[in-house]
Amino acid sequence: MSSERKRHVIPGEIITSGPYRAEQNTIQVGENIISTIVGLSDVHDGSVRVIPLTGGYMPKDDDLVIGKIVSHSSLSWTADINSCYVGMLPASDVFGRDYSSSSDDMTAKLAKGDLIAARIVNADMTRDPLITISGRELGKIDSGELVKISPNKVPRLIGKRGSMIQMIESSTNSQVTIGQNGLLVVSSEDPNGLLKAIQAIELIEEQAHVANLTDQVKEMLESKSE
Amino acid sequence: MGGRDTDIVLLDENGIRCDGRKVNETRKVTIKAGVLKNANGSAYIEFGDNKILVGVYGPRDVHPKHLSDTDTGILRCRYHMEPFSVGERKKPAPSRREVEISKVIKEALEPAVMLKEFPRTAVDVYMEVLQADGGTRCAALTGASVALADAGIPMRDLVAGCAAGKAADAVILDVNNEEDQAGQADLPIGYMPNLKKITLLQLDGVLTPEEYKQCIEIGIDGCNQVYEIQKKALQDKFFSNGDKQ
Amino acid sequence: MSDGLIIDQLKKTQILELLQEGKRVDGRQFDEPRKLSIDIGVIPKAEGSARARLGDTEVVAGVKVQPERPFPDTGDKGMLICTAEILPIAHPTAETGPPQPDVVELARVTDRGIRESGMLDMKQLVLEKDKSVIGIFCDNAVTDHDGNLFDACSYASTAAINSCKIPKYEMQDEKPVKIEDEFIEPPITTLPVSVTMAKIGDHILVDPTIEEWGIMDARITITSNSDGNVVALQKGGSDGFSQEELIECAELSIKVGSKIREIIKQSKQSDN
Repeated sequence: MSSERKRHVIPGEIITSGPYRAEQNTIQVGENIISTIVGLSDVHDGSVRVIPLTGGYMPKDDDLVIGKIVSHSSLSWTADINSCYVGMLPASDVFGRDYSSSSDDMTAKLAKGDLIAARIVNADMTRDPLITISGRELGKIDSGELVKISPNKVPRLIGKRGSMIQMIESSTNSQVTIGQNGLLVVSSEDPNGLLKAIQAIELIEEQAHVANLTDQVKEMLESKSE
Repeated sequence: MGGRDTDIVLLDENGIRCDGRKVNETRKVTIKAGVLKNANGSAYIEFGDNKILVGVYGPRDVHPKHLSDTDTGILRCRYHMEPFSVGERKKPAPSRREVEISKVIKEALEPAVMLKEFPRTAVDVYMEVLQADGGTRCAALTGASVALADAGIPMRDLVAGCAAGKAADAVILDVNNEEDQAGQADLPIGYMPNLKKITLLQLDGVLTPEEYKQCIEIGIDGCNQVYEIQKKALQDKFFSNGDKQ
Repeated sequence: MSDGLIIDQLKKTQILELLQEGKRVDGRQFDEPRKLSIDIGVIPKAEGSARARLGDTEVVAGVKVQPERPFPDTGDKGMLICTAEILPIAHPTAETGPPQPDVVELARVTDRGIRESGMLDMKQLVLEKDKSVIGIFCDNAVTDHDGNLFDACSYASTAAINSCKIPKYEMQDEKPVKIEDEFIEPPITTLPVSVTMAKIGDHILVDPTIEEWGIMDARITITSNSDGNVVALQKGGSDGFSQEELIECAELSIKVGSKIREIIKQSKQSDN
């Protein structure tokens, strides 16, 4: 089966009809496969999906996310992960299974307002997703600037095999930790580089749907800063 | 429906209505998607002289927790008129009319919104009427669908709204304020244009079975016209080629 | 409402570090308000209206005029009431239902700022002494909240009232009757303008953003009139101001206020 050209679609619009599998952001109604969101339809290999241009973050297993601690109980911390579901970080993830932690122990490790890089462990929607900060490059974030973009722009920011983000990092001398939930932490020794990196990210957020985005970003990075 | 005595000529001998329209013409409708900074999705709609601002938050956490449903997300709608939106200032507290309209709009959107995708969350739709001129519930519903799409809430279809009615013994499309006050019937309709289902329907007034059929037919036609404007609003925001508006 | 907002630690540290260097996150000077734009007549069917955009904060004010029975002790004066509401579309933490204390405070401060300044000569708004007067209602609806609602509501209200058209009424058979298509200019005596300042440590910042608001120690809103007099004050927040700081704040408010007053005046002229 041939692949059809990508098309702009809105909720309720018929993408195609016939023997196709309805995948992400589509449903089958009678013979037709329709889009459920605003996005770009993608038909190939007998299946239809829509790449979203809208929408918030839905937690998925193994996603790396940036979270903000909002509260804690004696058993876990709760983190705002920029989603309609909050992330639960069990105390045992930090203290080990048998350690029984007091409230002071909890706050000393992670307090309200602290930012963390975490991974989604279990994203079943019948309860809040479990997250972990034990792992390479995970844990409390002490420095850098927090930037927020729409989660559906994250793939564009990363680029094919990481090409876009690597271009930004190398040309501005900065490091960007990208959360799949649209939260990013940008750090750099060079304040101008930091500013440029953030501007590049904002440009991608605004122009994600435009074809020559890579050229635009390249041009922006190469221009002299004020 | 007042059927009040009026000096206004609702329909003249040339078939022209009090605001210059023909019987099957809607008022001018414009919609802009994504107008608010904080809301997850938003839309501003002008439907004739109606001016309505809609904001959507969600899916989001539900407080208090006992209102949430483990199997599905819930939809909450609030239709609210600003004190300065009507001829005689309206007191800020919600009126029974606003409560009823909020419910009717919620039930018009529920068939479209795919709430089962987000158990234990809520999608909140807030419709603020800044200026009212007859047909606000249809206009609010129309704006709400665009705001929901702008927020990325998955939907089976958009819902478009338009009212049909009767004035000076003629079946008319898109009843304005004068026609609502002095006319004979007002039939607001909410319609899913692709799935071809009516999800909002009310009647205030008296219609013969034949007039009722005509109202539904002309009303669906009006909804289809409004749908084109909804589509355009979303296309302008998401698919235009990087042109700043 | 600000209680619901948890500012993340990185942002808080960033704001404080920049303040030590004499800078703000958005590049403004300490005594610089955000860009203000005012459009009047946005609700044509109301007797007056204005939309004020202060940075990303947006407020729509609508003025309705109707005959009312006067208050028992002021039968020789018209009525002027301002209200304010944070619409649930304005911010994820904005609630529906009976107003929370911070919203009640916003409404009352906005009302006092306009009324106590004597902006309108209420003695000229009487139809029949002790029986019928003109009631002017200015209702503010916050549609987008990015901090400093006190000032945004003050500017929207002043601009809306300044540009409103009061219908002409005549007493006929003891009842006020509107004369169609005849209006009178509102009896404006002065243009009140509020300026809100946040105190973070020893720094005083004019027109705080929602993030600065979230970490501030205290705040003060000072309203001045066209003569450069102070007409209303409201201190808020859990810390205190020194005497010197209060004098500095009043001077700032009058200075910044006079520039804002020009923008409000401009909004009426450019519409004509």
